Amino acid sequence: MGHTDRRRQRGLLVTLCAVVCAFVMLAPSTAWGLTTSKATARPNEEGGSSVIGGLPTRLTWEGTVDDGEEVTAVTLRLPEGGSFDGASTKVTVLQGLTRSELATEVAPEGPQLKVTFVDPATQGLLLRLEVEGMKFPAKGGDVVVEGTYVNQDGEKPLAASKPIATIANTPLQSLLASLDANPVVKAWNSSQFLGMFFKPQLLVTAFATLVPGWFLCLVIVLVAYPIAILLGLVFALMKISRHRVLRAIAIVYINILRGTPLFLQIYIMFFGLPMMNINIDNNVLGVIVIAINASAYLAEIFRAGIESIPPGQYEAAASLGMGHMMTMLNIILPQTVRRVMPTVTSDFITSYKDTSLLSSVGVMELMMFAKNLTSVSGNMTPYVAAAIFYLIVTLPLIKVVTTVEKRMAKSERGGGARPKVKAKDVAAAEAEQDDIALGGVVDAQ
Amino acid sequence: MKKHASILAIGACLCAALACVVLVGCGNNQPASGTDDAAKTTEPATTASGDYTLVTDGKLIVASDLDFPPLDSFENGKAQGFDVELSEAIASKMGLECEYLPPMNFDAIIPLIQQGGKADIGNSAFSITDERKKEIDFTDAYLDSNLGIAVKKDGGISGDEAAIIEALSADGVIVAVQAGTTGQDWAEENLPKDNVRPFDSVTNCITGVSTGKFDAFVADLPVIGYQCTQFTDCEVCLEIPTGEQYGIVVSKDNPGLTSAINDALAELEEDGTMAALKEKWFGITE
Repeated sequence: MGHTDRRRQRGLLVTLCAVVCAFVMLAPSTAWGLTTSKATARPNEEGGSSVIGGLPTRLTWEGTVDDGEEVTAVTLRLPEGGSFDGASTKVTVLQGLTRSELATEVAPEGPQLKVTFVDPATQGLLLRLEVEGMKFPAKGGDVVVEGTYVNQDGEKPLAASKPIATIANTPLQSLLASLDANPVVKAWNSSQFLGMFFKPQLLVTAFATLVPGWFLCLVIVLVAYPIAILLGLVFALMKISRHRVLRAIAIVYINILRGTPLFLQIYIMFFGLPMMNINIDNNVLGVIVIAINASAYLAEIFRAGIESIPPGQYEAAASLGMGHMMTMLNIILPQTVRRVMPTVTSDFITSYKDTSLLSSVGVMELMMFAKNLTSVSGNMTPYVAAAIFYLIVTLPLIKVVTTVEKRMAKSERGGGARPKVKAKDVAAAEAEQDDIALGGVVDAQ
Repeated sequence: MKKHASILAIGACLCAALACVVLVGCGNNQPASGTDDAAKTTEPATTASGDYTLVTDGKLIVASDLDFPPLDSFENGKAQGFDVELSEAIASKMGLECEYLPPMNFDAIIPLIQQGGKADIGNSAFSITDERKKEIDFTDAYLDSNLGIAVKKDGGISGDEAAIIEALSADGVIVAVQAGTTGQDWAEENLPKDNVRPFDSVTNCITGVSTGKFDAFVADLPVIGYQCTQFTDCEVCLEIPTGEQYGIVVSKDNPGLTSAINDALAELEEDGTMAALKEKWFGITE
């Protein structure tokens, strides 16, 4: 049974093949004389990837002239609402990869574009039409490019292209269009510098599109930094350790990482590791590089912090019978934390900014998004928008560092906040602290 | 009182900064137009095709990314390649000395020529496109080119154009391109945006493909072909017929220079220099 079934199937297959072959043999009379190979549109959404109807974009249409055909004209037609008016068309004719120079006349008219070949395009030629500045129907939706062509036998329909997905205008794009039309914005952009670095349209686009990159920056540095602090502490303790080998390891680690550019470390990690068949996700690798780099700086900060604690503290702890470990954990490190806080915050700011270097290896962080937008628009404004995103985080942190440093300076001089200050109102407290600080200075003198 | 003072100080700083910005903005324009006028009145027309202005008298200063071998490269501190020898030939036809600026990012060249004052021409394998023509002028085309896609050998990406586009459209695929190139244009038109990553340098892109960090690299075919001879674990999986042509970039304010270079290009074509250059760098014999 099984055998006969299979035989029957085989028989069916053979007849099917025969039928298909027959169709192919008959093809010259039924096939397209000009085969549409492709129709694509350039995304025209600022900072996005969609093709928006009603706004100028570029349509690329390709068709191949079939055997025995001579094409003298091609007409492309868009659905209702589409327009070729005011578009400029580049016609490229190719035999394989070699250009053939064919004289053409192009006539855009509403939803139709007619390209006439002075000498007919012969078999095997690829006709490539790039129509810059055409518009798809404003309502959006899948657009099919149709049309006709003229060969030696007269005018015939073209095969419909694969649908091009387009969308209706977005609120953001409408806002941009209104900015485009605004005379104040026009005047602003006419200044070369302002137009290049502070173009309002691009600022709006950038703020809307850079956010995911900004989040990735924050995630990378927020995950990397705790790791860096732990690593930094370990290497700081190793560097002040009594064992020569541990000290040597720490010194090599810290000096190499602090002594080479982060850019280089990123390149080595991103391109070097895969060559040793170690494959790690780009974002994870980004976290690792930033963590390792920051740990070297933190190790030095911690070491300096620990060494700044007067030796009297160790002696006092020893006199109470504390061991080395206990002294470190209970006496020295808590005081160190307080002392290094401002420096560590500064270093955090540096690390946060350093994530920008990861754009050079394709991590989709803030700078990568900005670069994307800049390379499309040829304008520097996205970088300014990125700078603002960095400042949103760094300015408050800088403020924190300054405040903490001021407080510490006061308390070092013996004028730190006292319990009674809290009860009073802020202005009075400030005045009093100033007095105390002054007093402290006088005392010190 | 203290707080008011600091707010005032910040305000003053902002005002000062804005004033600087405005001054710089104007300052940039004025000297440029000033030298233009001076040059036009004092410098006699050097060619029959009209007068042009140069950043430095007697020198044709060229901007290029010099990272596009065999067209442009920077070896042993010297600019080399087809484009470089072409620039030199053009300069000598015009009776000028050719000088290359240090390598710069490709996407910075057109803004640089537009703003003027640093370089006279940009010659860095620029494909002539209508979009770029809005920003700057192109000379006549001097070389035909196409696009190509490089992938890692045996990486499972092969087939015809449709199959390769489908493979490169899959989630998580990274396609490297050089920022601002027609390769980037093609990738953004044919592939999902999330898959396309622009980089500054060709070396960066191709190293990434070679190490497996990126899945493909789209760029001009001569360059892709050359890179695949250097990175032997990569191959050209698709040649994309685009029939684009390279032209030299000149500022729109300097039409005299464009026509002077066009004359020089025509002469080079006529006396066989162009054919010799093509044969030397690409092995093309016409």
